[in-house]
Amino acid sequence: MGRAKSTGTAGALTRTAHLSDVGVSGYTSENPSKTGGHRSVRSTPAAILSREGIAHEAGGRVIPLAKRKIVVLIPAYNEESVIGDVLRQIRLAGYPDIVVVDDGSADETYQKAQQVEGVIALRHFLNRGKGAAMKTGIEAAKLLGADVVVTMDGDGQHDPGDIGRLVSLVDEGYDVVLGTRVMDRATMPSWKIVANKSGNFFTWLLYGLWVTDSQSGFRAFSRRALESIETRTDRYEYDSEVIREISRHRLRFTEVPVAVHYTPYSQGKAARQSLKNGLKTLFRMFLNT
Amino acid sequence: MQIPLVNLALALVSVLFLVNGTVKFFKREERQTLFKLFSSLAIWGSILTFSLFPHVSRSISHYLGFGDNLNTLIFFGFVVVFSALFKLVGSVERLERNVSEIVRREALEKLERMQEREGLPRREDRSPPG
Repeated sequence: MGRAKSTGTAGALTRTAHLSDVGVSGYTSENPSKTGGHRSVRSTPAAILSREGIAHEAGGRVIPLAKRKIVVLIPAYNEESVIGDVLRQIRLAGYPDIVVVDDGSADETYQKAQQVEGVIALRHFLNRGKGAAMKTGIEAAKLLGADVVVTMDGDGQHDPGDIGRLVSLVDEGYDVVLGTRVMDRATMPSWKIVANKSGNFFTWLLYGLWVTDSQSGFRAFSRRALESIETRTDRYEYDSEVIREISRHRLRFTEVPVAVHYTPYSQGKAARQSLKNGLKTLFRMFLNT
Repeated sequence: MQIPLVNLALALVSVLFLVNGTVKFFKREERQTLFKLFSSLAIWGSILTFSLFPHVSRSISHYLGFGDNLNTLIFFGFVVVFSALFKLVGSVERLERNVSEIVRREALEKLERMQEREGLPRREDRSPPG
């Protein structure tokens, strides 16, 4: 497992680990056995070099980096106390195109999101789950003409400062970049480590692709990935379903360690994701395999 | 008469469910119907009877002509019940997906109206990317 170095800054944990630190190098979803036991980058490049630097290819179009549209997508459910700050921080980090999908919250999440300048807030009139909200957000991002979509959780556990690292890997030609939380007891509660590792195991068992953090909500997708990925599930099994789609469409993906700020608020939310919900998620994963 | 421990446990569980169902009905709790009460009495009553008097099931089996093949019939029953259950779960999943799609369309309407105001074509009018 990784030798991720951490440097505490103002109480927040900043990960400076590189891919090799978590035992991961750039790779595709190709079967390792077919590539001599190690995973390698596919030979056909998804990005090409132009005079402006690396250009992003989406659906055959070549878009200079300066002109590509990055949309940050946040599914939110009952996050009224934090959503405003989360959105403002993302804007401050330099990402003005934000789509929030309020998944039928019982509180003022939708109104709070609407109050932040430039944010497009959409609302599910019924609570349909994280997967359904993500799918709505991705459809919205497509309508807005996004070239890169970055998904983040709405509880403020992710650092907007990491968005740039994920996007730069998409610019390098990866279709999907998975933000990976470093799982050690200093930063993550033990029960959550067990739950996440179980998630990784069952995702590998059902979909045949091993990833370091199959349940992370911090991810970046290229336009090609957005057009390819087809998910059917509505709830938390969505995260694993995306891994299945990476494998099915042989998308180029990589993993990058991301900082996670576990606040009492986000911890409280995580605690409500009980064992019963975990088993339900597992059952639905089996059902949709 | 000596009753095995498993049968005693089953009898206890049956009594609990029988009492619970009956009390719920007479308290006129929400979604309690006479049909539900009779179903509960029939199912848990049968389990109570068979667990306290195992020879009853054998007598019925012989009377109906199954002899010692009752277990096969019970196994077949389980298979039928599980098949029905999976079909039901599949239908519910499909319905859930349809509901999500309706909710999604409604949510995206707002964005499409916004884009229409700005003079951009609606989703169905656009050519596929690439």
